[in-house]
Amino acid sequence: MDPECSQLLPALCAVLADPRQPMADDTCLEKLLDWFKTITEAGSSLLLLQENPCLVELLCHVLKPQDLSSRVLSFSLRLTGVFAAQEDCFQYLQQGELLPRLFGEAGPLGGAAWTAPTVRSGWIQGLRSLAQHPSALHFLADCGAVDTIFSLQGDSSLFVASAAGQLLVHILSLSMRGPAEGPPGLQADDWPACAQKIVGHIEESLRSTAAPQITQALNVLTTTFGHCHDPWTQVLWVQLHPLVAALLEKDPVPAAHSLVDLLLSVARSPGLSSSSCGLWETLAQTLSHLSPTQAGLLALGILKLQDCPQALRAQAFAVLLQPLACVLKATAQGPGPSGLLDSTSADSVTADILLPSKAACVGLLCRTLAHLELLLPLPQRPCPWPQAPLLGAAVTLLQLCGGSGSPASDEGRQLCTLLLGCVRVQRAALDFLGTLSQETGPPELVTQVFAVLLEYLRSPDSSPTVLKKAFQATFRWLLSSPRTPGCSDLDSHALLFLRELLPVLQKRLCSPCWEVRDSGLEFLTQMTRRWGGQAGFRHALLASEVPRLTEQLLRDPESYVRASAVTAMGQLSSQGLCVPPASPEHPGGQQSLLGELLHILSTDSEGFPRRAVMQVFTQWLRDSHADVVGDTEQFVAGVLQVAGQDLDWEVRAQGLELALVFLEQTLGPPRSHCPYAVTPPVAAPASPLTQALQPLCRVRLFEFAFRALFDCDRPVAQKSCDLLLLLRAKMASSSSLQEPRSSPDVASVEAALQRWRAGDQAQPLGDLEPEVVLAVLRSMDLEGLRGALAESSDHVEKSPQSLLQDMLATVGILGENEADCY
Amino acid sequence: MLDCGMHMGFNDDRRFPDFSYITRSGRLTDFLDCVIISHFHLDHCGALPYFSEMVGYDGPIYMTHPTQAICPILLEDYRKIAVDKKGEANFFTSQMIKDCMKKVVAVHLHQTVQVDDELEIKAYYAGHVLGAAMFQIKVGSESVVYTGDYNMTPDRHLGAAWIDRCRPNLLITESTYATTIRDSKRCRERDFLKKVHEAVERGGKVLIPVFALGRAQELCILLETFWERMNLKAPIYFSTGLTEKANHYYKLFITWTNQKIRKTFVQRNMFEFKHIKAFDRAFADNPGPMVVFATPGMLHAGQSLQIFRKWAGNEKNMVIMPGYCVQGTVGHKILSGQRKLEMEGRQVLEVKMQVEYMSFSAHADAKGIMQLVGQVEPEGVLLVHGEAKKMEFLKQKIEQELRVSCYMPANGETVTLPTSPSIPVGISLGLLKREMAQGLLPDAKKPRLLHGTLIMKDSNFRLVSSEQALKELGLAEHQLRFTCRVHLHDPRKEQETALRVYSHLKRWAPRSFWLGLGRSGARGGSHCASRQRPQGPLRAAPSRWVRDCGVHPHPGCCPLRGPRHQGAAGVLDLPG
Repeated sequence: MDPECSQLLPALCAVLADPRQPMADDTCLEKLLDWFKTITEAGSSLLLLQENPCLVELLCHVLKPQDLSSRVLSFSLRLTGVFAAQEDCFQYLQQGELLPRLFGEAGPLGGAAWTAPTVRSGWIQGLRSLAQHPSALHFLADCGAVDTIFSLQGDSSLFVASAAGQLLVHILSLSMRGPAEGPPGLQADDWPACAQKIVGHIEESLRSTAAPQITQALNVLTTTFGHCHDPWTQVLWVQLHPLVAALLEKDPVPAAHSLVDLLLSVARSPGLSSSSCGLWETLAQTLSHLSPTQAGLLALGILKLQDCPQALRAQAFAVLLQPLACVLKATAQGPGPSGLLDSTSADSVTADILLPSKAACVGLLCRTLAHLELLLPLPQRPCPWPQAPLLGAAVTLLQLCGGSGSPASDEGRQLCTLLLGCVRVQRAALDFLGTLSQETGPPELVTQVFAVLLEYLRSPDSSPTVLKKAFQATFRWLLSSPRTPGCSDLDSHALLFLRELLPVLQKRLCSPCWEVRDSGLEFLTQMTRRWGGQAGFRHALLASEVPRLTEQLLRDPESYVRASAVTAMGQLSSQGLCVPPASPEHPGGQQSLLGELLHILSTDSEGFPRRAVMQVFTQWLRDSHADVVGDTEQFVAGVLQVAGQDLDWEVRAQGLELALVFLEQTLGPPRSHCPYAVTPPVAAPASPLTQALQPLCRVRLFEFAFRALFDCDRPVAQKSCDLLLLLRAKMASSSSLQEPRSSPDVASVEAALQRWRAGDQAQPLGDLEPEVVLAVLRSMDLEGLRGALAESSDHVEKSPQSLLQDMLATVGILGENEADCY
Repeated sequence: MLDCGMHMGFNDDRRFPDFSYITRSGRLTDFLDCVIISHFHLDHCGALPYFSEMVGYDGPIYMTHPTQAICPILLEDYRKIAVDKKGEANFFTSQMIKDCMKKVVAVHLHQTVQVDDELEIKAYYAGHVLGAAMFQIKVGSESVVYTGDYNMTPDRHLGAAWIDRCRPNLLITESTYATTIRDSKRCRERDFLKKVHEAVERGGKVLIPVFALGRAQELCILLETFWERMNLKAPIYFSTGLTEKANHYYKLFITWTNQKIRKTFVQRNMFEFKHIKAFDRAFADNPGPMVVFATPGMLHAGQSLQIFRKWAGNEKNMVIMPGYCVQGTVGHKILSGQRKLEMEGRQVLEVKMQVEYMSFSAHADAKGIMQLVGQVEPEGVLLVHGEAKKMEFLKQKIEQELRVSCYMPANGETVTLPTSPSIPVGISLGLLKREMAQGLLPDAKKPRLLHGTLIMKDSNFRLVSSEQALKELGLAEHQLRFTCRVHLHDPRKEQETALRVYSHLKRWAPRSFWLGLGRSGARGGSHCASRQRPQGPLRAAPSRWVRDCGVHPHPGCCPLRGPRHQGAAGVLDLPG
């Protein structure tokens, strides 16, 4: 501990012990505890207590009957636990009888303070920290803590109840770790008394008729099997397995969610050999006992298991597929198998859930679609994967929701009524449909997929979120559409679809909802990035109104849309897809776009579009875009000048990114020697350095970078520092590195930089000569600055000393400044 | 889920709620029908992009139009400070904020929005900040009102909170000022203006750190009017960009401001300030007095901190903190009276400037909260967003003065409320006819007791005669015969003994016993089948049950929780 903090600590302990001094900020005690944890993790707690007796005094003081705040009491319990985690410190606190007085019956446990959840929580967390060694186990047994923890499992506070369950797991695991002479035997009868007590309690809870108790026991077991993988866990499972299996005989199965969690936790546990413990049988039994709404998660969990009998996997997959099989069966135009599940005998239960109530139907379908979506990308997914019927089911669901389904049967019509316009199912089905694009399907089904997607994109009833998902799914399907091997071009079917799609996109770009316009632009950017170079795509796009509308959206009232339009236009322009403007006052479309983007950069009131412009410009410079190549220096100089004055520091930081690209292009970064690599036209030889620096000076890159070096926003300064260090490294490697030269120019620049550092950045540096820049760079302590900038901007305020000072300073001023929020 | 805020006092995981308490292994979207955001302050919406884009909630989010417009600005500001300046990881990105805002369904005031077939919500004006709303949430006949933060007194630019007398089962209200009866607003304002004026008169510079949008506009109007009235010349500046932004939003959402501003809007837009100009970084070094509104509000980064550092050393200058500051910020330090602040590199900044705290936050005070409870007439009140001790005081006041039960759970605590939902039950014509045949004519004013079998199927509830229930469900009637063998030791003759026993039983045994002996399915009194509430979540899995149940005017005795319970049918005919 710092001497400064050590000095402040007694006063702080006195304040904490004084019930008349309430803590203003509930975060202070948490942060104080964090600090003590850091100290004790790094060194001896005993030494800490001996060197700072005020800490033990505080712990003793909180035991005195007084009106102490529950927060301070809770803090003290937790702090004691942190100290007592080390065995020698535990013994030290035991000698003073402090531990039983804090955690035993005589402590807060029996008093009025116990009614505060924060005190109960502090008690549990204190014990959790303390229980790290065998002595702690004896202590827990002696003070009867385990019984209290049992009862706290049913606490009215969610946090207390959950922490109590976790503490039980921790104690069980600790007691089974055993003393130094070796862990306890594998026979449950040989287990330590503490472990036997906990297991006995779990058994009793599992036999209980009260669902909450069963849930608690199952949760404790889930955490146990999730965290402990020692051989004793297998013994535990063998012992408890019949009780768990007995739960399945009850109707309805109690605590089904927790039961599923437990079974999956056991199945995943590497410590258990599943076949010998009857686990697979129990899983199969559970799958058949639970209702389809409850069984989905279990089925998914089983299918995710690496090593599992094939029959069980088949059963689990059937459970997962059943709702969709019901949908297909209900909407089938004629008799015959749907292709999803051969057996239709078991699906009456699912149909019972799907058909009578909308809420149950929607819930089950959404869950099923989400589970299948998670399963599809996994390597252990079932094989063969029923891609075609699943595609059919997704399309059918979307048709039912969109109102275009025309089922023949009564069940189908009923389903149609339930799902018509249901946004939840639409969203889930579109996500699922998008994921299904990873696999291909029969051509007629793929045609149906595109048709239903187009229907959604066209429909005036589609909500903005549904439209966004429809755009995403469309893009994924376009990506996966069949193509010539080795070629990324769209095939003729996809191009036909594109011709239908573009008028729809056009319409969506004019939507009154900004969310829709934005999703449309994002979709356009994605498509252009992917297929902008392909003739078919280019032709279709240029024949549409989309590029013109995109250009108009640069002036959209919504800043998010303007930003997306900037990105989209940047992409279109990179691919040469910007249409020449129709009106004669804009001669030369490309040139006007550069002007327009510069205009946005200098005038837009929101940061998003300006940031987007900077990203586009940086990319253009990197790609040697036609506009930029014309007069790169003028372009860079103009952009840096505007960016340097921007109020949004992210724009300024992006300016440095652009400066870095220009610097690398000018001085030449290490390049590959591939004979086919395209060499950027502006790349110049690295020497002589002063000559190479001329272009950088001409674009005033150094003035921009030096100004940024003293920017009040840390990331800008950091980026500039990195850029200048890179330049200096180049200088060092350059043969032209000469002896430092001092001149009046250098002195005046250094003086100006000193003023800038002090915050007065009004005076410009003027034209800089390369020699002066080199001299200034040599004299600067850039490494030191980088070290200082690496710390977070509030590291001083976050320091422990600052925390202690703040807590002490707050004393006595509380009532004056009423705490409020904004 | 009502609101999705963050704790600005932490820089790690603790700043966001631990959503694993909702579900550990399941999908959040399956557990929540929707998220409702009351207003744009970060303690109410700060975790939203984290929740929807990182934790994985994919359902609808409801908020008012102004909240949807302003929310991303505050989130973006916070992101820029947290991630880029402090280098924190595991935080949401700009794209995530945008994607999150695209999931928002914006609502109008007093518009009833049907979230799904059963759940509907309605927004009411809450004052506090532009776009703040209270929400009424209704499922069947049960409802809850959630206030968010609200203000019961109008101020210079916003009106007072207002809501229908909707008599919900529960009113969840904030209680920031649970014990305070706030001093007159005019006094506070006068005090503020006096301090600013004095500082400016003596040639000092005044810094007012504020958050981008919110209470700052109230202070701007106040200063603008004062400057106009006093014909003051000292310049007032506002962080560049924000004035335009604020102006834009207030113009756009003028209907959300108070009546006076709306009425005069055509002649004069109160948010187009004559005296308040956009601030440039270079202005901070200008000589002479000035007033600057700069962000952020807690002096923890950016422009406000930069200006503070420049001006702190001059005792003629002043900083006015108009809101609460979390520990670890310069704002917190100076408010707690620290005058020597350690800066980077062991530099010490001596604060000689005057430091003032002037709360302008617009929460209802104790009187206002009581007024709202009176206006809404809830069955119960639940206090949140306040300190336990203050809540305790208000709880007692509410219970004593308004005779309404009041709860103040700690974070994470569960409160169970008894409600008596009314569930419409159809009665079969046959059953009614049978009752009529007994000669009792229906009387609308008098509740009548009817016996029958309640069939719950497909969200429908029907009371029919037992015979009809059996017929409809295709079930057979079970006859239970109770026999009992009793050994009697009586010296008399057998027949004589039998006669004596018969007359004894006839005299003493209850009628039901005879009925029970005589025929099966004998019915007892007018008991409800169960007084237990069903355990488990609101959306319990359907169970097969039919209860023999009298339609009974006892409140709270019906175990059903509205049409969300689905029940298939079966028959269980129990003797009373």
